[in-house]
Amino acid sequence: MKTIEIIHAVVTGQVSAREVCDAAIARIESSDREINAFTGRTFARARAEADAIDTRRARGEVLPALAGVPYAVKNLFDIEGVTTLAGSKINRELPPAREDAVLVQKMKDAGALLVGALNMDEYAYGFTTENSHDGPTRNPRDPRRTAGGSSGGSGAAVAAKQVPIALGSDTNGSIRVPSSLCGVWGLKPTFGRLSRRGSYPFVHSIDHLGPLADSVEALALSYDAMQGPDSLDPGCHALEVQLAAPSLDDGVSRLRVGMLGGYFARNAAPAARAVAKHAAQALGASDEVEWPDAELGRAAAFIVTASEGGALHLDDLRRRAYDFEPLSVDRFIAGALQPAVWYLRAQRFRRAYRDKVNALFAKWDVLVAPATPVTAPEIGAEWIDIDGVRHPCRPSLGLLTQPVSFAGCPVVAAPLWPEGADGLPLGVQLISAPWREDLALRAAMVLQRAGIAHA
Amino acid sequence: MDEERVLAYVNAAAEAVGVPLDDAAARRVAVHLARTAGMAALLESMPLAESEELAEIYCPAPFPMRGNGDDWL
Repeated sequence: MKTIEIIHAVVTGQVSAREVCDAAIARIESSDREINAFTGRTFARARAEADAIDTRRARGEVLPALAGVPYAVKNLFDIEGVTTLAGSKINRELPPAREDAVLVQKMKDAGALLVGALNMDEYAYGFTTENSHDGPTRNPRDPRRTAGGSSGGSGAAVAAKQVPIALGSDTNGSIRVPSSLCGVWGLKPTFGRLSRRGSYPFVHSIDHLGPLADSVEALALSYDAMQGPDSLDPGCHALEVQLAAPSLDDGVSRLRVGMLGGYFARNAAPAARAVAKHAAQALGASDEVEWPDAELGRAAAFIVTASEGGALHLDDLRRRAYDFEPLSVDRFIAGALQPAVWYLRAQRFRRAYRDKVNALFAKWDVLVAPATPVTAPEIGAEWIDIDGVRHPCRPSLGLLTQPVSFAGCPVVAAPLWPEGADGLPLGVQLISAPWREDLALRAAMVLQRAGIAHA
Repeated sequence: MDEERVLAYVNAAAEAVGVPLDDAAARRVAVHLARTAGMAALLESMPLAESEELAEIYCPAPFPMRGNGDDWL
């Protein structure tokens, strides 16, 4: 059952939350040996949360928006009583979290059932979830292939129907890349929309949190449930809740939709360009639009990421670099050694960049671009081919997502299924102006209703 | 910077911030830093006026608004 069907069935009593919960647990137990999405299981908690929902229903109470919906979280979210790994070996020495992350608390308040914690690239520095400590997460669409990352466990868990909703984080594309490669829906909200308190940081200047899900309705409902100002998170700029679900069916007839060309076409293989064009046409886009300074935006995001990420872990890099993920430790060290002038120039550029991007959205409501240059590469691949040019695989999977998140714009990753790609999915980014998640979600709903995008 | 100069920078900077690196690790780190240096050069090529400030500027405290109990102004 999709999220909406679960909620309806639980609310009407066709099925109990406990039955939904046990079915999810059974799917996880039967499939995760192959997929390796889960690094921790909180089944007792999920059953207790399910029983609480069933009790409330028996009392005749009005049930909350996500009543009885199982979900799981990337293992950088605090879960009360569980150590927050952030994909690392080093964090295993930390004590269990004393309380849930803010977004986990909000999901609980909305009636969702937390079944566990999910695999990721160590400290979120990667796009492939090739985690040497916990093993790679395998793509449910083809287990020889990567699930993407760094929220790869989240993408795989939804694609494998282990859970209908998972939470992830996105600094440079870590929700959108696994959504694209696993063929599920993802939402990277506006920078500063959702509280990050209680999540393990990667790059304070760019970190976002958000949902991956089986449907647009699930994205919207979970996103709405997680909204709210948080004065204790210096990165949370939202001052009020602005619901997106009520306008989901408003369509795009009055929206100005464009398709990004230039950088976004040059760095996309034919299948990626084809799905973006297909989605853009379905949304009524006629013009090709140039995103300002995309290559510079990507460069600045790369520098800020390396510098803040390296600095955050400098003490451990000094004392125990051998305990880090071998695939990313050298990048962390390189970041820690970057000259300050590189970082400062990137941060100064960011203000001018933001102004140019916001000016673009004076003319457009939704912009369409591929989410990844290619479909899922095989696990262990060192290179990908984009139009005959060889690129290093691990950093290049974020080529098309980094310029957008650096500007802070909200993006829905819509799962499309290109022809001639052996049944593998490839996502499309639906990008809107800061604070206008509702517009990207409306466009996503049009693609879902048309059957063009589906998980 | 050529490969050897990047490597020399890596070794000097690692010593300055206290990260021990053997030769093999230093060479791997240098490959990554050289890639980032290319991106930094790209950013350098874009003119930025002196008036272009950092994306976020430090604020010592929220501005006290009249009528919010901050009427000491």
